[in-house]
Amino acid sequence: MSDRAENTLLVLPGLLLLALAFFVPITQMLVLSVSGENGPTLDHFTRFLGDPYYLNVLWRTVRLSLIITVICAAVGFPLAYIMARVGPRLRLWLIVLVILPLMTSVVVRTFGWMVLLSRSGLVPQVLRDLGLAERNFSIMQTELAIVIGMVQVLLPFMTLSILGVVTRIDRRLEEAARTMGCTFMQTLRTVVFPLAVPGIVAGSLLVFTLSASSFVTPNLLGGSRIQVLAASIYRSVTQTLDWPFAAAQAVILFAGILLILVPYARLAGGRSNG
Amino acid sequence: MADVRLTQIKKAFGKVEVLHGITLDIPSGEFISLLGASGCGKTTLLRIVAGLEGVTSGTVELAGRDVTALPPEKRDIAMMFQSYALLPHLSVSENVRFPLRMRRIGSREEQAEKVRDALETVQLGHLADRKPTQLSGGQQQRVALARAIVSRPSVLLLDEPLSNLDARLREDMQVELIEIHKRLGLTTIFVTHDQEEALSLSDRIVLLNGGNVEQQGAPSEIYTNPASGYVSNFLGAANLLPAVISETGDTLSARLEDGQSLPLSSDESRRGAATLALRQEDVILCPEGEGQIVGEIGTRIYLGARNRYVVHVAGTEIRVLAGTETVFEDGSRVGLTVDPARIRALPQS
Repeated sequence: MSDRAENTLLVLPGLLLLALAFFVPITQMLVLSVSGENGPTLDHFTRFLGDPYYLNVLWRTVRLSLIITVICAAVGFPLAYIMARVGPRLRLWLIVLVILPLMTSVVVRTFGWMVLLSRSGLVPQVLRDLGLAERNFSIMQTELAIVIGMVQVLLPFMTLSILGVVTRIDRRLEEAARTMGCTFMQTLRTVVFPLAVPGIVAGSLLVFTLSASSFVTPNLLGGSRIQVLAASIYRSVTQTLDWPFAAAQAVILFAGILLILVPYARLAGGRSNG
Repeated sequence: MADVRLTQIKKAFGKVEVLHGITLDIPSGEFISLLGASGCGKTTLLRIVAGLEGVTSGTVELAGRDVTALPPEKRDIAMMFQSYALLPHLSVSENVRFPLRMRRIGSREEQAEKVRDALETVQLGHLADRKPTQLSGGQQQRVALARAIVSRPSVLLLDEPLSNLDARLREDMQVELIEIHKRLGLTTIFVTHDQEEALSLSDRIVLLNGGNVEQQGAPSEIYTNPASGYVSNFLGAANLLPAVISETGDTLSARLEDGQSLPLSSDESRRGAATLALRQEDVILCPEGEGQIVGEIGTRIYLGARNRYVVHVAGTEIRVLAGTETVFEDGSRVGLTVDPARIRALPQS
């Protein structure tokens, strides 16, 4: 058998799965999004894009996803650096600690945050006791709650992506930078960070897509007043039973993510190679 | 330029002490080699001078200033790593400019000028815009050297910089290092496990063994007067033979373990059990019966210009360098002659 045939054979199971579980439903979704009572129509799209409410939902989804991604990167980079530079024992513990949230169900974790953030919860209570907040203060059902909950869920993806890259950075490079006049912080900025960019990019792609399409955490922590797109799609499917409109929203979410991610990946990829 | 003074440097990693109180004075402008087998602490000592490693006790002074507690960036040094440690995301010229940029030396134009000079010095001016990964090992090496000298540090630290190069490039770089040192006069500390490199490059060699200074001195001094069996063995040139030295009348001789004896120079002061050090180029092979002692050829190794023989003498294997005009067959018996003045008697090892 030629190499080519062998390669094809190897890639076949993956391709089949992808075709069945991804391309078929996506195609169906695309078809559904333009189906109307009298043949193909773009009504669902014009309805979405013409309604300030839905545009607001879209904007909130993108904005929150960006904020979550930036926070995850800002927390994940130093964390990953420390994990890469400590001894193997401590590193193992830190990895366990970072992954631990992934071992519980999203629902359980989110209920945990509800307990902590609600009006009678620990965090607002402490803030009130310290005189930093008013009597009615609550973090629940705010965008802040969504950001807090999502950062916790998605931090492991960012941290582990960066960790993989940072562990491969030669320590001698940092030492060399120190002997050339860099302080520790300057070494991080001028040596470690540029070399960690591929990891940060990979982590950002993961975190951004996951948070833009997430449903459970934003829905539970944000409530019905603060909707994100995924929740809006869910409502169209289950409550108004408007499947074509749900499909149109899903297409917009899909296209929106692609529109943001492709240029970003290209920009960052180009910089780290060239 | 500055002198380096190390006083009673001790270093322990956990419970293992790797440096046992090393004191060294390195005058300004000297090229000094730290020579030793792997694990002798030479790299650790260099890293302590650089500030990459702290000391357990002792002090490091650069130019009369105690820098023991200062981090590397506050010391006026430059270091060249065995792996070169070029920054892969920066171009060659950006790499060379890096120390100037971080230490804020000169204006942008002056920095560009210095980078050009440094790259010209190592003959790499034409590759300034390449990335380090696009260069060969020898070129990367030169970039690392340019980067180390561009800021004219008080002290230049070289950590086995030549060990990853093939033999020809290594010789070229040795010449280059000597010339750069002559021209810039930087105080240079050079770490190596290669005795030839140390002998050919340095003003002074410090031979380390197990975290202690075994011997230090000028290359010729250390080569001709090794202080111990370890030193002469490490310098690779010597054969060690156990012997007993005794005086009969005016003549001094060393009796080998099988009863044969070698005449010694009357300057030799050592008596009784000792170890004789014979350098392989000082032993002369001749037909059996014409020499002072007799041995048996084990193996001949052809080296091109010369032959190296492994010869069994008095129950010990010794190595002998000889010309190619006469060839002695494996297993044949030969005579050996050594100029008495060339035999060193060392303490029994």
